Amino acid sequence: MKKLLAISVATSSLVAICVPALQAQAAAKETLNIITWVNPPAVSIIKKINQEFEAQYPNITINFQTAASTNYNTLMQTSVQGQTADIMSIHPFEPMPYHMTSSNLSPVQNWAVHGVFMNLNNQPWVKNFSKDDLGAATYNGNIYGLVTGVYQDGVFYNKDIFKKYHLSVPTTYNQLLQVCKVLQSHHVAPFFDGLQNVGPSYLMFLNSPLVTELWASKFKGADLNSALWNNQTKWTDPGFVQALTEEKQLMQYLEPNFTGVSWQDMPGGLANGKAAMLLDGSWDLSAVYTANPHINVGYFPLPGSNNPKVNTSDLFPDLTFTVLNNSPHKDAALKWLNFFASPKIYSQYVEATGISPSFIGGHYTSIASKVMGSWFGKGMPGSVDSPSLPATGPYWLQSNNWWNMQLEIYQGKYTPQQAATMFQQGWPQVTK
Amino acid sequence: MVYRGRARFPIYLTMLPGVLVYLVFGIVPSLATALISLTDYSGIPGLPVHFVGIDNYAKVFNVDSTGLYGSIVDTVIFATSVTIIQNILGLLMAVLLDKKIPGRAFFRSLVFLPAVLGVTVIGLMWALIFDPSGGPAANFLHLFGVNSAFFGSDSWALPLVIFVQIWASLGFTTIVYLAGINAISPDLYEAGILDGASGWKKFRFITFPLIAPSTTVNVMLAVVGSLNTYDFIYVLTNGLYNTNTLGMYMFNTAFQGSSDLGLASTISMVQFAITLIFVLVLQPLLRRREAAL
Repeated sequence: MKKLLAISVATSSLVAICVPALQAQAAAKETLNIITWVNPPAVSIIKKINQEFEAQYPNITINFQTAASTNYNTLMQTSVQGQTADIMSIHPFEPMPYHMTSSNLSPVQNWAVHGVFMNLNNQPWVKNFSKDDLGAATYNGNIYGLVTGVYQDGVFYNKDIFKKYHLSVPTTYNQLLQVCKVLQSHHVAPFFDGLQNVGPSYLMFLNSPLVTELWASKFKGADLNSALWNNQTKWTDPGFVQALTEEKQLMQYLEPNFTGVSWQDMPGGLANGKAAMLLDGSWDLSAVYTANPHINVGYFPLPGSNNPKVNTSDLFPDLTFTVLNNSPHKDAALKWLNFFASPKIYSQYVEATGISPSFIGGHYTSIASKVMGSWFGKGMPGSVDSPSLPATGPYWLQSNNWWNMQLEIYQGKYTPQQAATMFQQGWPQVTK
Repeated sequence: MVYRGRARFPIYLTMLPGVLVYLVFGIVPSLATALISLTDYSGIPGLPVHFVGIDNYAKVFNVDSTGLYGSIVDTVIFATSVTIIQNILGLLMAVLLDKKIPGRAFFRSLVFLPAVLGVTVIGLMWALIFDPSGGPAANFLHLFGVNSAFFGSDSWALPLVIFVQIWASLGFTTIVYLAGINAISPDLYEAGILDGASGWKKFRFITFPLIAPSTTVNVMLAVVGSLNTYDFIYVLTNGLYNTNTLGMYMFNTAFQGSSDLGLASTISMVQFAITLIFVLVLQPLLRRREAAL
C-alpha cells in the first residue's frame, strides 16, 4: 500500500513539475507573421534569413507571405485592418504633404501619422544605419522602419552594343541625344521601359532624374518638396518645363509600343538585346543577369543637364520593415529586426539583392556594386527631390494622374508649358 | 395546399439559413457601404470616424478633382458592348451547338471552358498573346504592317478588355440559351415546317420568341455583371488607357491611391445607382417583351 502511495505521489509530483513546464514551452511558441511584396532576390534571401532566425530562436516560427507588387497595397490594407501581420514591409513614406489631411495622404503615410507603426528609436541597430536613409521612414522624430537600403534609378546599358557602335558613356544631355540618334540610325532601340499594368508611373526613370537635375538642383540647402509647399518655386519654373520637354524628347527613343510592354519584361529587354539601354532601378540587375549571364552591363545616371556636375543618380530608399503597433508578437518582431540588422545577416541581404546598403561601413561585392562602380550608393535622395503629391485633390496633381499627364504630353494632347500651367493652377488648392 | 398557423413554422425554419446568409453577406454590407459613404472612414485601426454628410458626394461630382465622368463613359461603353455582343454571339453559338453536328458534346465543353478558368489565368494568357514585344498577336499583325501597344494603347485597350470579358463569359451565356432552345417543343418546329417555314423563319418566328426568358436572364446578368466588373480590367490594364470603369475607379480609390474608404464607398453608391437605373429600365422592357411574345 505504502509502495503504491509512494508511486502515486512520485507520479503526481512529476506531472505537477512537467505539465506546467510543457505548457509554458507550448505557450512560448509563437508565430511571427511577415509580409512583403515580390522582388525575387529579396524574397529568396529573406526566406533564407528566416530559416537562420528560426534555428537561432526555435520557439518562433515565421509565417512569411508575399504578394505581387501590383497587389501589395491590398495585402497591406487587409493586414492592417485585420491585424494579421507583425512585420510589414513598406516603401518609405517620405516626402509627406506639408498640410496633411486624411485624404491627401497615401495609406502608408496615414498609418505613419496615426501610430499604426511601432516607434523603433531605441532599437540597438539604429546607430548602425544611415540617418538619411532612416529619415525616409521617420515622422515627427519617430523612426518607424528599418530601411534596408536604397535602390538607384538610371541607365543600365549593354557595353557590347556601345562598343560595336563606338559610343562612349554620355555625361550631358546633348551627348545622350547623340547616342540615341546613332543607335536609332542602326535600327537599335535606344531605351527599354515597360508601362503595361503599372502605367505611366514607370516614366519615373526619365522624369525623376530630369526633375532632380534641371529643377531640384536649384535648391541647394533646401529641397524641392519644401520649396514647392512654401511657394518658393512654381510648377511653371523653366527647369520643370525643360524636364517635361526633355522627357517627351527621350520617350521618342523608347522601344516601339512601350506602353503595352509589361514591366516584368524590362530586364529581359536589355538581356535579350531588344534595346541598348534599360531605364530601370538597380533592383532589376540580378534579373538581367539571370536572363543572360553573359551580358556585359554598365551604368550611368541619366544626364538631363548639359552641365555634367549636376547630373546625378537618384537614390530611392526601398524595402523597409515596420512593426505594427497592434502586433501581439512585438518582442519576436524586434528580435527579428535585430537579427536582420546584424552585420553577417545584413550583408547576405545586400549581396543577394544588389541594394545599396543603408548600413554604415562594410564592403560588398554584389553584381550591382560592380556594375554601378563609383556610383554605387551615391547620388541625391529621391525623397527630397520628388514633389509630394496628394492622393486626392485637383485632378492632374493627384499622384496617379500626374504620371498620366506625362503620357498625354508625349501623345501631343498638352505641351509641357500647358501641363506646367495646369499643375500650377491646381496647386493652391493642395497647399491651402 | 395552403399552410396556415403553426404549419408554416417548418417553412420559415428552412428559409432562415438562406435569409440569414443574405442579410449578413448582402444587406448588411450594402447598408454599411451607404453609411460609410457619409463618413471619413479610412480603415485605420483606432482612428475615430467622423460623419461628413454629403462631402464625399460633393468631392466625387467635382469635375476638377475626379475622373468620375470619364469613368461613367468607360463603364457605359464597356457594359453596353459586352451585353450586346455577348448575347448575339451566345445566341449564335447556342443555335450552332443545337444542331446535330459531329463532336457536338466536345464543342459544347470547349465553349464553356473559359468559364472554369480563373480571372488571373485568363488575364495572363491574353496579356501574353497581346504582348507588343514579340507576342503572337503582334507578330501576326506585323505581317500586315500593323503594330499596336494593345493593352497599353488608348484606342485598343478598352475594345480588347471587352473582347476578353466576352470570351470568358460566352460559355455561360451559350449554355443558358441552349437550355432555352432545348425547352422548345419539337412539335412547334414541325408545325412551322408544314406551314413552309425555312431555317431563318423558324429561328425568327419560333426559336427567338420562345427563348425570351433566357434572353431576359442573359441580358440582366450581362448588364449587372459588366457594370460591376473590375477583375479583368485590374489584371489587364489596372484601369489605365481609357479602361477606368467605375468598379476599377472604386477599387483604386480604396486600395491604391488614398486610404479614403468613405470616398470609395461613395463611388460604389454611384455605381449602384447606375446599375439600378439600368435594371429598372431594362427589366420591365424585357418582361413586357416576354409577355407580348
